[in-house]
Amino acid sequence: MAILRKDLIRELRTREMLISMILFVLLAMVIFHYAFTVKEGADLTYFTGGMLWVTFIFAMLLGLNRSFAQEKDERCLDGLLLCPVDRVTIFLAKTAGNLIFLLIIQVVAVPVFTLFFVERSYAGDLLPFLVVLLLADVGICALGTLLATISMNTRSRDLLLPIIFLPLIVPVLIAATGATTLIFAEGAGFGGLLARVLFLLGFDVVFIVAAYGTYDFAIGE
Amino acid sequence: MKQLVSAPALFVEAGICLVAGLLLAFLYAPVDASSMGFSQKIFFYHVPIAETALVAFGIALVAAIAYLRTQNLKWDRLGLVCVRLGLLFSLLVMVTGMIWGKAAWGVWWAWEPRLTTFLLVCFLYIAYLVLRSVVEEEQRRATYAAVFAIIAFIDVPMTFFATRFLPEGLHPVVITTGGTGMEASMLVSFLISMLGMTLLLVALIRRDLAVEDLKDRVADLKNTIGG
Amino acid sequence: MPLEIDVEGLRKTFGRREVLKGLSFSLERGGFLSIFGPNGAGKTTTLRVLATLLTAGAGTVRVAGHDVRDDPMPVRRTIGFISHDPMLYLDLTAQENLRFYADMYGVDDREARITELLERLELSHRRHDVARTYSKGMRQRLAIARAILHRPRVLLLDEPHSGLDPRAVDILDGLLTEIRDEHTFVMVTHNIAKGLEWGTRLMIIENGRIAYEHAAGVDPESFSAVYREHVQEGAVL
Repeated sequence: MAILRKDLIRELRTREMLISMILFVLLAMVIFHYAFTVKEGADLTYFTGGMLWVTFIFAMLLGLNRSFAQEKDERCLDGLLLCPVDRVTIFLAKTAGNLIFLLIIQVVAVPVFTLFFVERSYAGDLLPFLVVLLLADVGICALGTLLATISMNTRSRDLLLPIIFLPLIVPVLIAATGATTLIFAEGAGFGGLLARVLFLLGFDVVFIVAAYGTYDFAIGE
Repeated sequence: MKQLVSAPALFVEAGICLVAGLLLAFLYAPVDASSMGFSQKIFFYHVPIAETALVAFGIALVAAIAYLRTQNLKWDRLGLVCVRLGLLFSLLVMVTGMIWGKAAWGVWWAWEPRLTTFLLVCFLYIAYLVLRSVVEEEQRRATYAAVFAIIAFIDVPMTFFATRFLPEGLHPVVITTGGTGMEASMLVSFLISMLGMTLLLVALIRRDLAVEDLKDRVADLKNTIGG
Repeated sequence: MPLEIDVEGLRKTFGRREVLKGLSFSLERGGFLSIFGPNGAGKTTTLRVLATLLTAGAGTVRVAGHDVRDDPMPVRRTIGFISHDPMLYLDLTAQENLRFYADMYGVDDREARITELLERLELSHRRHDVARTYSKGMRQRLAIARAILHRPRVLLLDEPHSGLDPRAVDILDGLLTEIRDEHTFVMVTHNIAKGLEWGTRLMIIENGRIAYEHAAGVDPESFSAVYREHVQEGAVL
C-alpha cells in the first residue's frame, strides 16, 4: 500500500523517530533498575512484564505524536484526504506503519530487557510470548492511531494523547503484563495463557471494528 | 401524565423513592447474615448508584451514535450531560465503596475488580471532558467527543473483564449483583432504591439539559449584542 | 454545455459563526471562475467544500456530476487542488512524492507522466533531491505537478500565484494556458489582473454571500470600482 511505503521510506530516511524511541526504551530500562533496586537483592521477577509493557506504551505515545505531527505540518493531511481512498484505508495503513515501528523497537528492546532482567530462559515459551506480543501490539497501535488522529487536531496535542489513550489501553496492559510476567517468571504454555490471549484477540477485533465505524469522522472535517 | 414527568415532579418522585428505599433498607430488610452485618446496608445505595452511572454512560453512547448520524448538536448536549452525571455517580460509587470497604474490611481501599473498574471509568470520562476542553470548534468537538464516548463505553466492560485477571488479594469479592440470593424483603428495598436512583438520573438529565440550553441562549444573546 | 460545478444554497457554520450563508452558483464545463473577496469572506471555505475537504452544513454541491457529500470518491478523482500549502512530504524526493500521489490516484503511466511533468515544470535536474532542499518557488512547482498528476478535469486554485517567483509565475501561466481547453477552473485570487485575464466568470464573495457576479468582459475600471467597494484592502492591479 502506497501510504505504508511512503511512511516507511520517510522514517527510514530520517530515522528520527526510530532512534529516539529505541533510546527512550533502553533508557527507561536502566531507570527502572535504579528506581526499583532499593533493597539489596531485590527480586524484580514479578515486575518484568509490567516494566516491559509500560515502556512500550510510553514509547508509542512519543512515536504516535511524531507520526501525525508530520502530516499536520505541511498540510499533507489535506493532500491525503484529497486522494480517492477510503478513510479506513488510511487508518489501516497508518496503524500498520506504527505497528512495524513498534516491532522494530521491540526486536532491539526485548533481548536487552531479557539480558537485564530475566533470570530464567523462556526459549521454550517463545511462541506464546511472541503471540502475546503481537496481539498486544496490534491493540496498542490500532487504538493509538485512532486517538492520535483525533488529538493531532486539538490545541494541546501532545498533552492530550496520553490522557485519552492511557485509560483506554489499561485492559491490554493488564492482560499483556500478566501473560508476559508469567512467561518470564514461571514459564507458561498456551494453556495457562489462553484466557489472556483470547482476551487480547477479542480486544483487538472489537476496537478495530469500532475504528472502522468511526475513523471517517475522526479524520474528516 | 405530563405532570408526573415534569422536571420538579421527577425530583420529588425520585426523592420519595430514595427515602422509601432507605427506610425499607433499614427497617424492613433483615440484617445481612454474612460477616458484613449492618454495613451491608450500603449495598442498597452503592449498587444502584453504580448501575445508574453505567446507564448514564450508556445513554451517552446512544447520543454519540445519534450525533454522528444526524450531526444535530442536541445529541452532543445530551452526551455531555450524561457523561458529567455518570462521572458524578461514578465518584459516588467509589466513595460509597470505600465507606463500605472501611466498615466491612477495615481498609479504605482495595484493588478489587469493581472499584478498580470504576476508578478507571472515572479517568476515562474525565479524559472525555478534557478532550472537549481542547477543541474549540463546536461541530468538531462534538464529533471527537462522540467518537471517544463510543470507544470509552466499549472499553468499560473490557476493563472489567481484564481486572478479573488480576490476583484477588486479601479482600474477597463478595458482592453478587445478580440479586438471586436476596430474600424478598431485601429485593423489594433494593428495587425501590434502583427505581429512585434511576428517576433521580432522569430528573438530573432534564435539569442539566435545560441549564445547557439556557447557557447557549445567553451566549447567543451576548453575541448579538456584543457583535 | 453541461454544468461542471453546481452549487445551490451552500451553508457552512464553524461553531457559532456562519461562514457561508447560502451560496448558489454554477459553472459550465470549460469555464473559468475567478473568485475575489476580502479575507475571511468564505472564499477558501467554498473552495474546500468543492474539494470535498469540508462538508457543507446545508445545500447541494455537485462537481463533475457527482454530489460531494454523498459521492465524494469520483469527485476526488476528477479534481486537482492547488493551494498555498504545497502538501508535500519534505523528507521525500520529488520523485518519491509524485510516485506516492500517482499510486494513490491510480495513474497508469506513472513513470512517464512523472518525467513529463518534472520536465514541464523544470524540476528534472532536482528530481532525486529531498523536497526540504527546494526553494519556495520550486516547492510550489512541485505542488502543481502533484495537483495535475492524475489529469484532473477540474482544477481548484487557492491564490496560486502568491509567493511564486516570476519564473514560476510564467511556468504556471504557461501550464494553465496549455490545459485551458477541456478543463474547468475555479480560482480564488487577490490578483485582479490575473483574475480578469483568465476568468470567464467573475464573482466577489463578501461575508459569506455572493456580492457580485458577472460574466467576463467587464470594463476593468468599473470592475475595480466594484472591487474596492466590496473588498476593503487595496486592489492589486
